[in-house]
Amino acid sequence: MTKLTQGIASAAVGSRASPESADLGAPLYVAWQVTNECNLACLHCIEESGPGKAFRDELSEEQIFAVLAQFVESEVPYLSFSGGEPMIHPLFFKMAEYVCARNCELKVETNGHSLSEVNCARLKDLGVKAVQVSLDGATRATFNRMRIRGEFDVVTDGMRNLRAAGVPMEVNYSPTCFNVHEIGAAIDLAYELGAYSFYTGRTMYTGNAVKAWRKIALSEAQYSEFFATLHRKAAEYRGRMHVHFHEMGLLEELRYRLRHPAALLIVLPNGLVKLINALPFVCGDLRRQSLAEIWGNFQRAWCDPRVAGFIEDLGRDPNKTATLHQWVYV
Amino acid sequence: MSLAKYVKFREEKFGGVLFETRSEKVFTLNEVAAAVVREIKAGCDEREIVARMKQRYEDRAESIERDVSAFIVQLREKGLIQD
Repeated sequence: MTKLTQGIASAAVGSRASPESADLGAPLYVAWQVTNECNLACLHCIEESGPGKAFRDELSEEQIFAVLAQFVESEVPYLSFSGGEPMIHPLFFKMAEYVCARNCELKVETNGHSLSEVNCARLKDLGVKAVQVSLDGATRATFNRMRIRGEFDVVTDGMRNLRAAGVPMEVNYSPTCFNVHEIGAAIDLAYELGAYSFYTGRTMYTGNAVKAWRKIALSEAQYSEFFATLHRKAAEYRGRMHVHFHEMGLLEELRYRLRHPAALLIVLPNGLVKLINALPFVCGDLRRQSLAEIWGNFQRAWCDPRVAGFIEDLGRDPNKTATLHQWVYV
Repeated sequence: MSLAKYVKFREEKFGGVLFETRSEKVFTLNEVAAAVVREIKAGCDEREIVARMKQRYEDRAESIERDVSAFIVQLREKGLIQD
């Protein structure tokens, strides 16, 4: 017989030793951009989000809960709500309550401007797995310069509220030439404010970031220094806070995903489903198709020659990521 | 003994998956390992699980106790179960 101990293999989601997504009956993770609306207008935003930027065809309440019911029925174990800013969606708490009450783990990815004491207490009561806060700087001056309409003090107060309420907290940090010098201090601050994980990587040339790219982009020399600091900090915080970062460029990541798609669906605010955030390809529409049908399409779409072609073209022209929001149906 | 707080189990055609959602790691289970996890979810202790597995997989009865114990140790080491 195959020993039981040989039957358990550890790996990060979607990597070589984990199950191939084609073998699974449903996705393991759904990342749902619940709205494109945002109260901030960040220079580096990889979406085309901002004030007044909600899609005209975002899902209705009835559609939202029909979609959530399918996720629950298919035993999708893990969802994240992002945006835009998910916490300003009028149904945010109702959606979170639905998910958390049905044996599904929920992560909320927020700009941290809605983390009042009351809201943090509600998140704690719901039992969300984690709240991931975007903290792109260790100082008010730096943070506020990147996050237009954002306020550093509001975010750090919100993080203190999360900590006081006992909600597990993660931090996300997007590097630009405005804030790269503060990466070490930002990691220290995240830990001091109670985060258990810190995530960062290369900022993508897409969404609103395209317009601001000449002002925000890092050179390879700056990235080299950035990653050196991250290696040092990851060692310094080992056992206390996880410092996650990917040095891999987008092209390498996509070439890998082409062979081993992650068991992850990206749901847009209007119910369209993308193959992966870093590609423009749409493989389904939750307003019209079942999750099972879309999951089948997802497997086939990764084999579509247009997907491989786009990735190879990206090798010749990295600026093609500027078109990620011009969806292509596969 | 139960699954740890952030661990989710889902049955699949090949057996099942355990998803540790905090670290976002997925663990693939063969059919027998998935059967053990089902018993853990049902609240059985190790002795009960061994007895049930011996009954279910009669042809493997000799090695099943050792295998189940090793598997449970592994689950515990990886933080996938709690007592």
